[in-house]
Amino acid sequence: MIEDIAKNLINLKKKFATIYDGQSQIQEVIPISKSELFPINQKDLELLHEFTKINPIYYNQYEKTIGNTTCVVYEGDINKYWLNSIQHSSSHAPFSPTWIMSAYVCILFAKKFGYSEVIDIGSGDGRIAFCAKILDLESYSIEIDGMLVELQKDLCSVLDFNPHCSDATVFDYSLLKLPRPLFFIGGLAQMGGISLASGVLEKISTISNIKQNSGWVFAGTYSKKYLTDPKNEAGWGTLIEKNNLKSIQTVSLPTAWTFHESDATPYIFAQPH
Amino acid sequence: MRSFDDISIMFDIESEKLSDMIGIATTKSDLSIPEIIDTYYQIINVSSMNTMLKQQINSDNQKSLLDKILETEKMITEKFNSDIHPRIMENLRKSIQETTNILQSGTEQKSKEDIENEAKFYEELRQKMSTKEFVEQYDKGLSND
Repeated sequence: MIEDIAKNLINLKKKFATIYDGQSQIQEVIPISKSELFPINQKDLELLHEFTKINPIYYNQYEKTIGNTTCVVYEGDINKYWLNSIQHSSSHAPFSPTWIMSAYVCILFAKKFGYSEVIDIGSGDGRIAFCAKILDLESYSIEIDGMLVELQKDLCSVLDFNPHCSDATVFDYSLLKLPRPLFFIGGLAQMGGISLASGVLEKISTISNIKQNSGWVFAGTYSKKYLTDPKNEAGWGTLIEKNNLKSIQTVSLPTAWTFHESDATPYIFAQPH
Repeated sequence: MRSFDDISIMFDIESEKLSDMIGIATTKSDLSIPEIIDTYYQIINVSSMNTMLKQQINSDNQKSLLDKILETEKMITEKFNSDIHPRIMENLRKSIQETTNILQSGTEQKSKEDIENEAKFYEELRQKMSTKEFVEQYDKGLSND
């Protein structure tokens, strides 16, 4: 069923991309109501809308029926956050968000695989951690950019997803109670993600009992713009093998950075061998 | 595969084109991004031809070609590497700083139109930044020579 929601979301994005005639830098849609294509708890949908409505990266919204699904279209701009994030010498990847619906679907998978905590690494506006909280998982958001963390704190008025302003590669994860954590790594492998993921994996390996119970989610790409990894996995194969992990699921979902492309973003779920 | 003669004819054409580009870059204080990229590509193109042709020249009747190659190398070293290239780097650095300052000094309350117009300046800034990276790569190559 979760796979079906993912496929329906991809189709919704494809239809939306063909009819969208706005000028915004980023845009995404959220269905207004639970439906056959999107059998999502109505209260959860409302929380997704609430997160997006108060999120200052969006400056415009309107209703639109796409295929058979009535949605709210949210138009936004992340330029000022991009400019701020590239000025951090230690920033591993500039901020660009996944769709909030995609974040929600990822957390549905996290629940299906039995994880109890989500750690959103390089969390941007914290949407993955927010969705984890909606679905009753404990969540933590780690972001190095102070401007984004301030934004996250404002969004915590809806649900508190524990934002931390820190370099994720030096953060002390032993301070958190993590019996069965799932780490989401922000950033494509080729856009600083490898460095970020390697740093966090190294940090986690020093904490007894966590590494073996941890899962990992990597945002990949099949775009020809980037060098392919010899071990594939949308750019993550070598890192996955080197860290003795195995891929257990790949799900493709819409993101801001693939809006104008035919391919969506593959999210690779991995766990220890 | 092309013959040596074909390559030397091509060299004449390309070095002439480069000479024109260097002429424009010498007089124009603020080259556009496409002009910068085209000029560097032409420098790289002609430099590669220089290297290849020099390896193949082995008789006196090719002296005029060798002279042309040496003349082109001199033009690249003295006019481009020593004068135009540092000027382009400095102009890009200043331009990026100026645009960054302008974008960071904007007011908080903006209309939809303001935001979408400003997005064009951000796009320009990205282009300048990636051009600066490209130019810096060339500079690293010079340092390693």
